[in-house]
Amino acid sequence: MRPDLSLRVARLGRFLRREGLPVALSDEIDAGRALALLPGSDREELRLVLRSALRIRREDWERFDALLEAFLSERARRRRRVARPAGRGAALGRGRADTAPEGAGGADRPASGAPAYSPVALLVKGAPRDCSERELGEMERVLSRLARRLARRRSRRLVPTRGPGRPDPRRSLRHALASGGELVAFARRTRARDEPRLVFLCDTSGSMDAHARFLLAFAVALRRVARATEVFAFNTSLVRITPSLGRAPLAATLERVREAVPGWSGGTRIGASLSEFVAGHLQGRVGARTVVVILSDGLDRGDPRALASAMSAIRERAGKVVWLNPLLSDPRYQPTARGMAAALPYVHDFLPAHDLASLERLLPRLAA
Amino acid sequence: MSPEIRALAESLEGAGYVTDAPVATALFLATALAKPLLIEGEAGVGKTETAKALARVLSTELIRLQCYEGLDAATALYEWNYPRQLLHARIFEGRGEDPAATEAAIFGREYLLERPLLRAITREDRSPVLLVDEIDRADDGFEAFLLELLSDFQVTIPELGTIRARHLPFVVLTSNRTREIGDALRRRCLYLYLEHPDLEKEVRIIRRQVPEASAELASEIGAFMQAARRRRLSKLPGVAETIDWARALVRLGVAHLDLDTAQATLGAILKDPRDLKELARGELAAMLPGEALQ
Repeated sequence: MRPDLSLRVARLGRFLRREGLPVALSDEIDAGRALALLPGSDREELRLVLRSALRIRREDWERFDALLEAFLSERARRRRRVARPAGRGAALGRGRADTAPEGAGGADRPASGAPAYSPVALLVKGAPRDCSERELGEMERVLSRLARRLARRRSRRLVPTRGPGRPDPRRSLRHALASGGELVAFARRTRARDEPRLVFLCDTSGSMDAHARFLLAFAVALRRVARATEVFAFNTSLVRITPSLGRAPLAATLERVREAVPGWSGGTRIGASLSEFVAGHLQGRVGARTVVVILSDGLDRGDPRALASAMSAIRERAGKVVWLNPLLSDPRYQPTARGMAAALPYVHDFLPAHDLASLERLLPRLAA
Repeated sequence: MSPEIRALAESLEGAGYVTDAPVATALFLATALAKPLLIEGEAGVGKTETAKALARVLSTELIRLQCYEGLDAATALYEWNYPRQLLHARIFEGRGEDPAATEAAIFGREYLLERPLLRAITREDRSPVLLVDEIDRADDGFEAFLLELLSDFQVTIPELGTIRARHLPFVVLTSNRTREIGDALRRRCLYLYLEHPDLEKEVRIIRRQVPEASAELASEIGAFMQAARRRRLSKLPGVAETIDWARALVRLGVAHLDLDTAQATLGAILKDPRDLKELARGELAAMLPGEALQ
């Protein structure tokens, strides 16, 4: 490959990444190899080749075309001009260490002080529900029944079993070799149990106080039957609380969680917290079959852009993204809060979660 | 258009496949760079047909693996021929042969049933086209397995040893996007998104696939299909439906698309009661050029 070609492709790749299109190094290598094969490409063919080699998804085509156009015309413009002092206006090609505009606004702001409290929360009918000891016990029973139903889904994949199932000739014969080719017993296969993989991200800030315990109880109950469930709490920062969820009664577990989470009932920085999740846990804990459930009212004090970029990263990797918003139970509620509006485009299911009935309706959606 | 791509486009047309620049470019790159090609698009836009056309152009065998949930190695890769193994084990036993020799014999190549993936790497003469159809229906475990095969093109069978590909197959994967394909697999492939054809391409497809249809009828059908896809239908009709419909109309001896025949044969392209209601009689008239004038 010609060195100037690979340099140009690398510049384009960096430009596209900066604009938020997921372009990997392997894509750039393929694009370089493809363009080297076709030296006489015109602009239209260049576009087609790059779309294919950089694996641009259908929904990104319009944006990609515009960005490519911008990149090419910027290059043409710069080529016409004589070399200019570095540092100014070098937006496309070179330099300019990636600054992190996101977070800057939110992080400087004092995190303590008055919690992000909204009059909207007061509108919700019968919202502030304090879970008493007895209520928690009742809820635990209902939730674990619901949760078990979720865990019963079966895949069509067949796995060996000792119980009833279809005959498995391959393993039967393998075993038969041990008894001199005599079929003593049939090996059997049955449909695999499809364990749901869930990641809960629960907002425990002041505006969510009334709901946080209730929703956490739900997550904890689900974890008891779906062992792969991960639970995180966040307010101004993110805490993984999965290790604190043992077999203890729900009330005691919730108490322990409350102690483990600093700044419970404090302010919220959803964007910064989710960015933390993306940086530290997305790779390891979220895959194509994982359902990510975010429990929050979306009343964010941080930068909505940070929230949007974190949500986009989660959406890209997860099988499904569900946002549970207790405020949604109020028919007058509109998701216009800055944070909620920024997150909504990346959410598959946007649902209320204020009582057991709404959680029950949620269950079928938790299967990826 | 670069000459190499134009040449491929022409041979595709020669093989009876109506093509355009995006498809020809992607197929050229996939063969030239020896990379798998992932084709996505709505149902009925001709994803599978693209792979078949590629096989025709390369005049090579098309090996197809249809994916479904629960697809496993025994269906996709290989399986031992158990009845035959059992039978021969009995015969050998009757002859009083050594059990070890019996085992060696019944795990020979002739007792192996080659499934599509294994067939694709054991062709002796030339590279086949391997079509992995509707990969989104298989589960992600199978996807990981496929990823391994696509990187090494070799298969290890415990009883036989490792089989390496003599000729690397051209691989085409298709997906209806009922499930997002994993990142790793996507990264390994080149990408083509097929859209519904435009009027010009669709008329050419009708003419090519249903030569009995007159030029007029073909363009009437094409125009109707374009209009139908702009409606709010729950299932947009694809090219496959267009061809079915054209064949149906030809069989009925229709020379011109009119309101009555359109309504009587609408079942060839619309397969949902709500969609049929959406294109009720009054709506249909507006979509037929001749009718609107009368």
